[in-house]
Amino acid sequence: MSDDEEPYNPKAHQKLLQAINNLGSAQSIGKYTRDERQQQQNEFQLVKTHKGVDQSSKGVGFNDLVQILRTSKHIETGKKLKNVYSTKKVLQKPLEKPVADRIKRTIGYEGVKKKLGRWDAVVAKQRSAETQIFPIPTETIYVNTAAHAHALKTSIKSDLGKELEASNQKLRELRKARIGDTTDEKQLVQQEKELLQKKMTRDEMLARRRELAYIRMRASQKSAKARMQNKIKSKKYHKLQKRQKILEQMKEFEVLQKTNPEAALEKLNALEKSRVLERASLRHKNTGTWAKNLQVRAKYDKDVRKDLAEQLAVSRQLTEKQLDTDSEDEQTAIKLKEIDQEDNDPFNPWTKLKNAPKLQAQENGDNTNWRKYWIERNSNEKLVAEHYAELDAAVLEKKINNENIEKKKKIKPVKKKKSKVRVENGWVVEKISNSSDKACSLDDIFEKHQEKIRERLSKKLEKLKKITKDQNQSIQKEKKAKKKPNELKNLEDLTFKNKKQRVEIDEPLNNDLIPQLIDEVSNTKAMLQTNECTTSSIIDPNKVTTITWKQSMRSTDALNDALGEDEDVELADVDAAAEHQLTISQAFEDDDIVADFNKDKSKDSEVKNSDLQLAMPGWGSWAGAGMSEELIHRRNQRLLLKLAAPEQRRDDNKDNLYINETTSKQARAHMVSSIPFPFKSLADYEASIRAPIGRNFVPETAFRMLTRPSVITRKGQVIEPMDESELVKPDRKLRHVVDRRIKRLQAAQKAKIA
Amino acid sequence: MKVKMISRNPDNYVRETKLQQHKIPRNYDPALHPLEGPREYVRALNATKLDRVFAKPFICNLSGHRDGVACFGKHPKLLSTMATGAYDGEVRIWDLANRTSMRSFVAHDGFVRGMAYAKNGNCLFTVGDDKTIKVWASKQPEEGEEESPVNTILSRHLLHGISHNRKDNSFATCGEVCAIWDEEHNDPIKTLKWGVDTLHTISYNPVETNVLACCASDRSIILYDQREAQPLRKVVLTMKSNKLAWNPMEAFNFTVANEDCNLYTFDTRKLSAPLKVHFDHVSAVTDVDYSPTGKEFVTASYDKTVRIYHAHQSHSRDIYHTKRMQHVVCIAWSLDNRYIFSGSDEMNIRMWKANASEKLGVIRPRERANFNYQEAIKEKYAAHPQIKRIARHRQVPRHVLNAQRKMRAVKDKELLKEANVRKHSKKGKVPFVSEKKKHVLRQDV
Repeated sequence: MSDDEEPYNPKAHQKLLQAINNLGSAQSIGKYTRDERQQQQNEFQLVKTHKGVDQSSKGVGFNDLVQILRTSKHIETGKKLKNVYSTKKVLQKPLEKPVADRIKRTIGYEGVKKKLGRWDAVVAKQRSAETQIFPIPTETIYVNTAAHAHALKTSIKSDLGKELEASNQKLRELRKARIGDTTDEKQLVQQEKELLQKKMTRDEMLARRRELAYIRMRASQKSAKARMQNKIKSKKYHKLQKRQKILEQMKEFEVLQKTNPEAALEKLNALEKSRVLERASLRHKNTGTWAKNLQVRAKYDKDVRKDLAEQLAVSRQLTEKQLDTDSEDEQTAIKLKEIDQEDNDPFNPWTKLKNAPKLQAQENGDNTNWRKYWIERNSNEKLVAEHYAELDAAVLEKKINNENIEKKKKIKPVKKKKSKVRVENGWVVEKISNSSDKACSLDDIFEKHQEKIRERLSKKLEKLKKITKDQNQSIQKEKKAKKKPNELKNLEDLTFKNKKQRVEIDEPLNNDLIPQLIDEVSNTKAMLQTNECTTSSIIDPNKVTTITWKQSMRSTDALNDALGEDEDVELADVDAAAEHQLTISQAFEDDDIVADFNKDKSKDSEVKNSDLQLAMPGWGSWAGAGMSEELIHRRNQRLLLKLAAPEQRRDDNKDNLYINETTSKQARAHMVSSIPFPFKSLADYEASIRAPIGRNFVPETAFRMLTRPSVITRKGQVIEPMDESELVKPDRKLRHVVDRRIKRLQAAQKAKIA
Repeated sequence: MKVKMISRNPDNYVRETKLQQHKIPRNYDPALHPLEGPREYVRALNATKLDRVFAKPFICNLSGHRDGVACFGKHPKLLSTMATGAYDGEVRIWDLANRTSMRSFVAHDGFVRGMAYAKNGNCLFTVGDDKTIKVWASKQPEEGEEESPVNTILSRHLLHGISHNRKDNSFATCGEVCAIWDEEHNDPIKTLKWGVDTLHTISYNPVETNVLACCASDRSIILYDQREAQPLRKVVLTMKSNKLAWNPMEAFNFTVANEDCNLYTFDTRKLSAPLKVHFDHVSAVTDVDYSPTGKEFVTASYDKTVRIYHAHQSHSRDIYHTKRMQHVVCIAWSLDNRYIFSGSDEMNIRMWKANASEKLGVIRPRERANFNYQEAIKEKYAAHPQIKRIARHRQVPRHVLNAQRKMRAVKDKELLKEANVRKHSKKGKVPFVSEKKKHVLRQDV
């Protein structure tokens, strides 16, 4: 056994141990050396320099180089090198490849983004253009036309013209000779010239200069004064000035009336015109800042309300149509009436047309009367309510006084009771309970009020705090939202509104199976379609464009919210319904909706119930005048077309209901139910539908303009993609007449706005 | 009462020229035309009906290929010339005006994967499954001469597509890598790679001609700049994109045809979400091509239909199909904005009108004015229900209808489920995600 074993060799053992020790630290592969340039690098050469290996194996360092140089004769260079080494920084280790690539990619992408962003303006313009023509017209080519131009002919008058002039001259002379006029024209002209050229004396010159200077000074003074006066903001001043002006004008007018009646008449016309102008303007409509400011306070302040009402009354007075009350006019009116009575011919539209405006005017008059009546009634009721309130207050005061005298010492704890609120014709009338105040002294009342006020104040403060907090939060949110960059912002900013909005229908197609056989089903379908055709041809014109607008429902609510916002806290305990009613009735203080509504209803039924008089003027009276009245009356009775007994309205007995009986079910299928996409308001859409574009309804040029297609392409021409020259191209010179006209129109509109 | 009338009886007047038309005096006072609204409405209704009556978009069928059509090459200058490649490696060049094939030659072993004309159309580049790029002269060889490529380039990598720069002499191929080539050199100038195994489409931007984009098999779209050493950006969608087309008028917009039946229009500068998702196909969309006006694009789909979309609307405006047309593989919109070409699996190339009811042939000015008027009133009354119903009514094959119903059911079910989950979970835990944001998985920098 021992023979088989190797004898223990300490040296070999030591070596083995060392080898084992070195296993972890040393690398088995030696360092790779390059002796030739290579593109591909061997992966084995990328060995790590070992940490454990001492300095000497690191290779030649910079310091060694300097040391060597110092010992040799190149001390200077050594110093320089050292200097450089100490002052200059060593470049940083390059980034890892994936990171570096990522950075490169982002930079590249940013560059491309920027480059593509150049097209924003062009694209935006193209998108909003009314008509686009493809292929896009290329750049204009400039040709030097001057090179081929003919030289201008210098003589302006032609030979013929010269001859004509000469003959004219001769003719004139001949005529003169015939008359016997011996004045020489040439001499006259010369005299004139001399007069003009005559020099002024020195004094004259000076005087003239002084005069001019004075005029200039006066002008500048006046302008300065006017400027100053224009700057005056005082309302009182302006009011006074206006009054003064009016007075002056009145005086002038009076004088004129006596001296020059014609001029006075003109003046009167001018006054009338100014009144009409004012009528046309929106003066006194409570739309100014003053009125708006007052409206805020109007809720709480009676006087302010009165002021506003006064203002409105003024406007009404101004805008009312003046009826001429001259006696002559009256006479003519009577005559007209008589004529009307004679001419009420149902089959002659011309006579009817004459009457129509008059009737309308009458109706208007009725309307105003009706309105007046309501205003009066409202105001009366207000007055009555006020009076009652005053009376109540007086009684209350008396009672308080009495009670104070009687029970001065007794003070009971007071329970607060909710006061009942009654709404009376737009006014909150609060019944003040007498029992609660029985034992109160004046001081207590004051204290109570102060407390109330304090409470209110604190509540309001809290509310305000809340609001500010919310606002802050929202602002912060906005800020957060803003942080997100929008790459397409530029494009969005550059897009402008399409001048000619078109309906865009972005819906899936209504799919249907391919018909396999032509059978009865399809026939019936065709029948149905023809039916539809017939229905389509009898559509009510007014119904084609009637649409319900969903948002209109909300608007009144919004109004109420706006009105009642501040009072939320104060009126918290007041019945909500009452409050609602209050605001609505306030909003429509002037007019009565219910009456209006009923009137509409009755009017509808009136139209239905009217009988037709078929008697025509002159008809049946062949023998001339002198027919007996009775006979005429009997005949007329006979010719009265009595229509069938009026149908009862479906909503006859229902007060709050109005059923429109004129609508047809067939037309409903043709009506648009909601506003189509790009349109935002009903008015816009209706306007786009209302204007006709057909040849029969608009002039030919307008027709061409309105029916211009949005994209025009030419047959057989390749449409090249957008070219870089589009970026710097000036506006295209328009060749088409319609294009030019459109451009001119636009320019005119712009000028008008500016 | 005597009514005075202006009498312009044409019998009593002599025309100045024979072209002069007698003016009809008209009174445009709207009070005299109380029914102008209804009249125009009825006209619009009739115009829409006529539009549907005349909607016969199919023009002709170009037959000649002996295998399915794989790709199209539009000639950049000639409207009547088009090249097509087939699955068997055959390339045909068509005379579209005469509806005949001018030349045909076998270009590759296996599929012709892509083809592109040079910028002025003097030569045609084709790539095939045999890893070669072949250059063919546009000029027809003389009689007796054999068809042979002007140049054949052997590529180191597999090739799946080719696109030519519109302005200079470079073109780009895709496959394993995206390579930029110069026409004069046999080696690529640049190879751009971003850790993807297959890029199956490539497309140069026609406006900013240095920018190009690829669709990769890892469901991503990669943007490149041919001057940069690195790709620019990658967007990963939920499904693979099959084809990509740039808008020729809006340099920054492109549309991809996706495997999930939708198309997505992106703005290059904002890839986080598509600008628009275009629905309506019921199977994978295989190809997309923009109209040269940039207003519309046409798509081919595996559901055997061709659809036309407005570039900024999410639903198609028209659908084309025939009984015999199988899976549509490639599509092209002619450069005069008038015709659409579709190549399908069953070896045929079909020519369609881009506007289904457009009249072909000469249109006299008065006729043109009338057409314009009809278009205008149709547009004006487009939102009226009857007109909308007629204008948007289409008959589709049964399988499409069934697939649509199925898709609708699936979508409804998903919506319902989501709503239910939302109802029964904490508020805000199941957020509302817009349809646009659902389809973009991530954006790689």
